Amino acid sequence: MTNTTITKQEIRFKLKSSSEYGQASFASIVSLLLAVVFLLNSYSPAEGSFKPAVLAVSIVYFFFTLLQFATWYLIRKNLVEGGEIKRSTRAIGYVLMLSLLSANVFVAATAFQLVKRKKNAFYTLAAYAFITTLLVFAVSALNVFKPYVADNFIIGMLLLIAAAVIQLASLLLVAKYGDRDVLPRWMGIIALLLILTAVSGNLFALGLGLLLFSKLRDKDYTSGSKLGEVVEKLSRSSTSMLGLMFILFLLTISITSYLTFDYGLAIENNYSSILQPPSLVQPLGTDNFGRDLFSRIVFGARISLIVGLLSTLIPVVIGGALGAISGYYGRQTDNIIMRALDILYAIPGFLLAIAIIAAFGASTVNLIIALSVGAIPTYARTMRANVLLVSTLEYVQAARAFGSSDRTILFKHIVPNSLAPMIVKSTLTIGTAVISTSSLSYLGLGVEPHIPEWGNILKLGSAYLETHAFTAIYPGLAIIALVLSFNFLGDGLRDALDPKLD
Amino acid sequence: MKKNGKLALLLLLSLMIVLSGCTLSTKNDVKETPAPTDGEPVVDGTPVTIELLGMSSNEADLNIVRDQLTKNGFNVKLNMQADYGSFKAQQDAGNYDIALSGWTTVTGNPDYAVRSLFKTGGDYSILADSEIDALIEKASTQTPEEFQATYKDFDQKLVFDNAYIAPLYSSLKAQALNQDVLNLDSVRISKSRSLPWEEVDFKDTSKRATDPLILQSTMPTLTSLDPIKGNDGSINIINTNMYVRLVNLTDDDKVTSVGSLSYNHAIADGNSDYYFILRDDINFAQIKDKKAVDTGERVGADDVIFALNRAKDKNSVPDHRTYTLHEHIKNVEVVTDLAALEGVNVSGGSDSVKAALEKDLPTKISGLVADKNQASTKDGKYQVVKLTTTVPFPQVLNYLAHQSAGIVSKKQVESINTYDVEKFDVNKDIPYGDQNTVTEGSQYNNTLYTSGPYILSYKNDYEAIFLKNPAYMTGTDHAPRIDNIKIRFIKDADSSLAALRSGEIHLFYGISETKFDVVKGDSKLALQTLPSNAVSYLLFNTKNRPVAESADLRKAVLYSINQDEFLAYYGGNKFKAVSTLSPLVNTGLELKADAAKVKEHLNAYKASK
Repeated sequence: MTNTTITKQEIRFKLKSSSEYGQASFASIVSLLLAVVFLLNSYSPAEGSFKPAVLAVSIVYFFFTLLQFATWYLIRKNLVEGGEIKRSTRAIGYVLMLSLLSANVFVAATAFQLVKRKKNAFYTLAAYAFITTLLVFAVSALNVFKPYVADNFIIGMLLLIAAAVIQLASLLLVAKYGDRDVLPRWMGIIALLLILTAVSGNLFALGLGLLLFSKLRDKDYTSGSKLGEVVEKLSRSSTSMLGLMFILFLLTISITSYLTFDYGLAIENNYSSILQPPSLVQPLGTDNFGRDLFSRIVFGARISLIVGLLSTLIPVVIGGALGAISGYYGRQTDNIIMRALDILYAIPGFLLAIAIIAAFGASTVNLIIALSVGAIPTYARTMRANVLLVSTLEYVQAARAFGSSDRTILFKHIVPNSLAPMIVKSTLTIGTAVISTSSLSYLGLGVEPHIPEWGNILKLGSAYLETHAFTAIYPGLAIIALVLSFNFLGDGLRDALDPKLD
Repeated sequence: MKKNGKLALLLLLSLMIVLSGCTLSTKNDVKETPAPTDGEPVVDGTPVTIELLGMSSNEADLNIVRDQLTKNGFNVKLNMQADYGSFKAQQDAGNYDIALSGWTTVTGNPDYAVRSLFKTGGDYSILADSEIDALIEKASTQTPEEFQATYKDFDQKLVFDNAYIAPLYSSLKAQALNQDVLNLDSVRISKSRSLPWEEVDFKDTSKRATDPLILQSTMPTLTSLDPIKGNDGSINIINTNMYVRLVNLTDDDKVTSVGSLSYNHAIADGNSDYYFILRDDINFAQIKDKKAVDTGERVGADDVIFALNRAKDKNSVPDHRTYTLHEHIKNVEVVTDLAALEGVNVSGGSDSVKAALEKDLPTKISGLVADKNQASTKDGKYQVVKLTTTVPFPQVLNYLAHQSAGIVSKKQVESINTYDVEKFDVNKDIPYGDQNTVTEGSQYNNTLYTSGPYILSYKNDYEAIFLKNPAYMTGTDHAPRIDNIKIRFIKDADSSLAALRSGEIHLFYGISETKFDVVKGDSKLALQTLPSNAVSYLLFNTKNRPVAESADLRKAVLYSINQDEFLAYYGGNKFKAVSTLSPLVNTGLELKADAAKVKEHLNAYKASK
């Protein structure tokens, strides 16, 4: 009896310590859910028949789901029996990679992790960079079904292909050379090219490029860069990596949409195609003014991301600085700053935002300011607490003993070591900022109603929730996905940045 | 080898994209090349900035206008206000080039559709054009056959020659009701007239005394319950049902005595004298302990004379909102000499006025009395009121059917309005019909005397309770059916629709075109629609703005407006319009969007700058 329990515990430990196993079960379940959603969508009860196109997608999803489940079972079997995953099991990953063609990123991302036995930050980043670029390319390519495309569409698509090729090449190279202690010198060129592709907004490529450079410069003297460590820890959690990928996907498509999407389709009314259901020409249908919802949501991502990021960055900087000064100098400085912030904290943030918008008018800049002001006190409090803690540590006392100035101690020693909780907190609150932006737009207090912004789109759609539900569902899903992504990323970052979990 | 392979792959991919790119048409390809303008010097193509003011409830219209103007070379600055109050404040401050405005001709006559809007010095007018004034005056004295041509000239001047307004569309009047609860046939929808509450009935008539009829309104603040002191959406329906008038409008805007204070009315030869023979079966109601009671005081000729004289007199009350509607009334008097009725003929006929007035009456006129308490229909003793207009003006009857011509009690109003009009102090004096006197709380002191089928008992921010007038035409078809009426104040249209569907309210007046599908899809709801007199248009600022000076700029805006697109957006539930007259007079004119004319006028405007 005792023997079996130990074995059970052992098995559980083996399964738990294998990242592939966890990822495989996650991917199979999500993929199954998606397949079911597609299947339900393909059935139209009015006609009692299945829509062939959606049904086909559903079948493809079911195929990869089954394959993924099989892989999951094999991984489990391998782990239980031999303690490690067999090469043959890993080889299935190459087949699973094909699911990328059906935009099933959950299975594809898992597949990239599965095929490589010994993973490192380079490989993970390269794989995600490549998948992101491919997704952006695929989504942008939907534009070819429109009556016309943006003037720079072809240039944009070519640039995306070039970026994808560079990233694929680096993926292969990194898979081959990434494990070596010293990288070949010509990897510098690859790193440079990768950083160039990051102009598209694909920050995975930027991270990879920087990591490669640091490793090249490092020449195996140290144990590796902090960024590499964080990426490695982060990549253990599929949800946070997928969250990060969705955010960077939106960022990339927001930037590349300058070339590949036509703004006119998103804001110009077209009375001949009012409230059309989704089709190839309008992948997400049209709204009550005949505007293409797909284009509107893509352009809406720009505003949601900018407002979300800026209205988090501003309070992080202001609140962080105030909190740091307050925590470091203490006494009256602390009292004055924190009591003033307490007054600000006493005002409900959302009401403050409404008041600011009502007083200064609705515009993107005012929206950012309105959402920023209310968030300053919480960041100041977090920062102050960290600074209070860090300033008692030995290296700070050492720096003081050396006669460093207050400014040097504060900004060189204390602030960098207090940043981790701020980063985690800000990723978690960006989601709130995105929701607040959309809420304000929904209330008619955000950006002008014709500007594509997710809250605006949702507001228009909500009036047609019963008759043309897709007008509200798609922007709603976009908001949910972005907020969820930030939350997952925040959770992952908290684990990755927490030194106690080392 | 490997490198070569990769290079080949790259080339192949690029080639594929370039090849597929060849078949794609870009935005520039499909853009129509602008036709070279003949002789017109090409002025700079920079967009002209124009400020568009509107309310957020009209967001869809604002968006369509913005879109049309943007496509025609304007840079539109949107000034969207949350409610009517802030919209009006912005409008009064002149912070706009064009304001999205709406007008409903509640009296159903064309004169009202233009007089207070466009005549110099009119209640709502910001125009000052003597030609326009002359046409309004000319048409007002004409018969329907004659005024058609005059109003055509008016539309031509107002819209096409001067572009003082840019018309958008005229609307349907629409209401949705719960047909499981209400008797569908008892709910009327009329072009101009408000819904007559007294006719509304439950499907299950046994509920009349026990259940309230629940209606809806968006505005909990009632301007005034004195009929002459308000003319807006918050009180029009309420005052129409609280005060009886000399005449009513039928569902298609014909003047009728049915359901009014008069049995009959007649226009005397010359179109300046109007006679009304009064009923004897309406008493004023009042509220005692929140219950409606019969005051025992009859509604008679003295009240009619008092009510109409104060309606036409600008100084009868402070903040008089409706005197311009009644400025054509010269004199109102009671007729006691029966011979005077026999001596005059009706307009356009050979009958005497007496014969016209006693038509279909149960007992013929045997005598006329001055004291209302002596009038008795069964004895043939009647009261007759004669109204004289300043000029021959048949449309005066339409104004008498308006809620502002509601009959109030001479005795009661005089006893409440004891203040000096010149020195009226809003903090101290409480005028008749002040909404605070019927609002629950310390100021509650309901002094209303109503001549109509219902009386307001009390209100708060959520609802208003109306009770049936116990002495209103009892025993006739016009006696109110349902004892209690409750108006729920629901600001948001979507919430109102939700309330209707959940059975919380019984009737939703003013449902939006975009919600018709929802109502039609719900089996317990019925939708009633009728083309209404409501017109939406863009009003140009007449002060301190480029649009005030430049007719070219105004015309450029005018010809940017494409009414077909509005019709398409509203699924064909709107109609084309040229001016506020369009639903009432067919002038045969039509506004057609014309991008070439826009360009021409914009160039002319830019050249003149």
